[in-house]
Amino acid sequence: MSPRRSEGLGLLWWYPPGWRERYGDEFDALMEDTLGDRPPTRRFRLTIALAGLRERGSEMGVMGDSIPPVDRARAGSLLVLCAWAVFVVAGSSFAKLSEGFRLADPTRTASVSSGAYRSVMVMAIVACLVVLAGMAITVPAFLRFLKTGGWPLIRRFVIRALLASVVGLSALTAVVGLAHTLTPAQRGGELVNHPVIWYYQLAFIATVLLLAVALGLWTIAAVVTVRRLDLTGTVVFAEAHLAAAAAGAMVLMTVATAVWWGSIASSAPWFLQGAPAGSAGSPFNVQLVGTMVLMLVASILAGYGVCRVTRSGLTLRSGRA
Amino acid sequence: MTRNRQPTGLRRSNDPPVLILTSLAAGPKHGHALAKDIEDFAGVALGPGALYGAITRLEERGLIAPLETDDRRRPYRITAAGSTALAEVVEDMRRIADIGASRLGLTPGALA
Repeated sequence: MSPRRSEGLGLLWWYPPGWRERYGDEFDALMEDTLGDRPPTRRFRLTIALAGLRERGSEMGVMGDSIPPVDRARAGSLLVLCAWAVFVVAGSSFAKLSEGFRLADPTRTASVSSGAYRSVMVMAIVACLVVLAGMAITVPAFLRFLKTGGWPLIRRFVIRALLASVVGLSALTAVVGLAHTLTPAQRGGELVNHPVIWYYQLAFIATVLLLAVALGLWTIAAVVTVRRLDLTGTVVFAEAHLAAAAAGAMVLMTVATAVWWGSIASSAPWFLQGAPAGSAGSPFNVQLVGTMVLMLVASILAGYGVCRVTRSGLTLRSGRA
Repeated sequence: MTRNRQPTGLRRSNDPPVLILTSLAAGPKHGHALAKDIEDFAGVALGPGALYGAITRLEERGLIAPLETDDRRRPYRITAAGSTALAEVVEDMRRIADIGASRLGLTPGALA
């Protein structure tokens, strides 16, 4: 068989493997008929990419209604789990950024920023417990999956995540070791022109990225595994409720972070710039803007996941799953 | 008022699934022939992505079916369920067209 032209052009890559297997040849013939000898335009490529991604979303159950309601509910819960992984990265960034803010905000708005900060911390603990509970109730199904020979299906995902974790934690150990050789002022970003500080900051950023990659790979491994588990309707229903609770916690944390930002920006803007207390400073901080964007993206993703769960949940409750 | 179209997923007259069913109501066609026919009768140019997205959904719902062929250009036919679903949509469209024609003071069928 001659190689598919659309595969050569990288267009079929956007579609899921099962779809390529079923429709790949005829889709390729349609491309030939449509394009002739002309190369595809950027707009053409974009429409194919979007259609392929839509097909992937449909296959995963996060778009459309081509899979049973119970699987759509499960996909919605997994979407919330993915959102939680994004939120963990944003939350870690916020935790680092807000270190020592109480010392920089001694004015009357301190209670507002402290209250918002406490809300973020409490909600983070609640969300962690909810995610752990969600994992715990799938353990019996996971053990059954392993007993029935499921390990080879998930092995490469788990090993990849394990390797990334080992690399990330090794880097973290090295960075912590390096941090102990610095003074608190140096760790705080003073003497920025000193080469050691540059190395420390580069190593810190690289470590954060490595840990984020490890978290992403564990999330992928969890999604791949849970999609293969034989979950009862009760477990899927419980997961749906836990997903809604986690999504609610993410939204509350996003709001609390915005309140914290507003409070600090009005009472101690110098803190956001790392400037001496009392000096003028912009209320904008690149890391905080990035953190807020990530939190918003995660909250929207989680909200969408809950919508999927809710729509499927209604069908589940009516016994038509 | 929103009419429930959940079982078939068919909605507006310019939805790709409706256009595909309308085209297949005249006989089986493969992808490129479908795209050309739809462009001729509806003036809608469906790209390969939109066309095959709709074909996938229609086949999943049992509204169209592939025909056996050795050619890479696989033709599709409308099923009985597809004909019923299309008839419902056409009836809806006719009802709305009649109301529109009546309110504009046109004779029903004069818009055709």
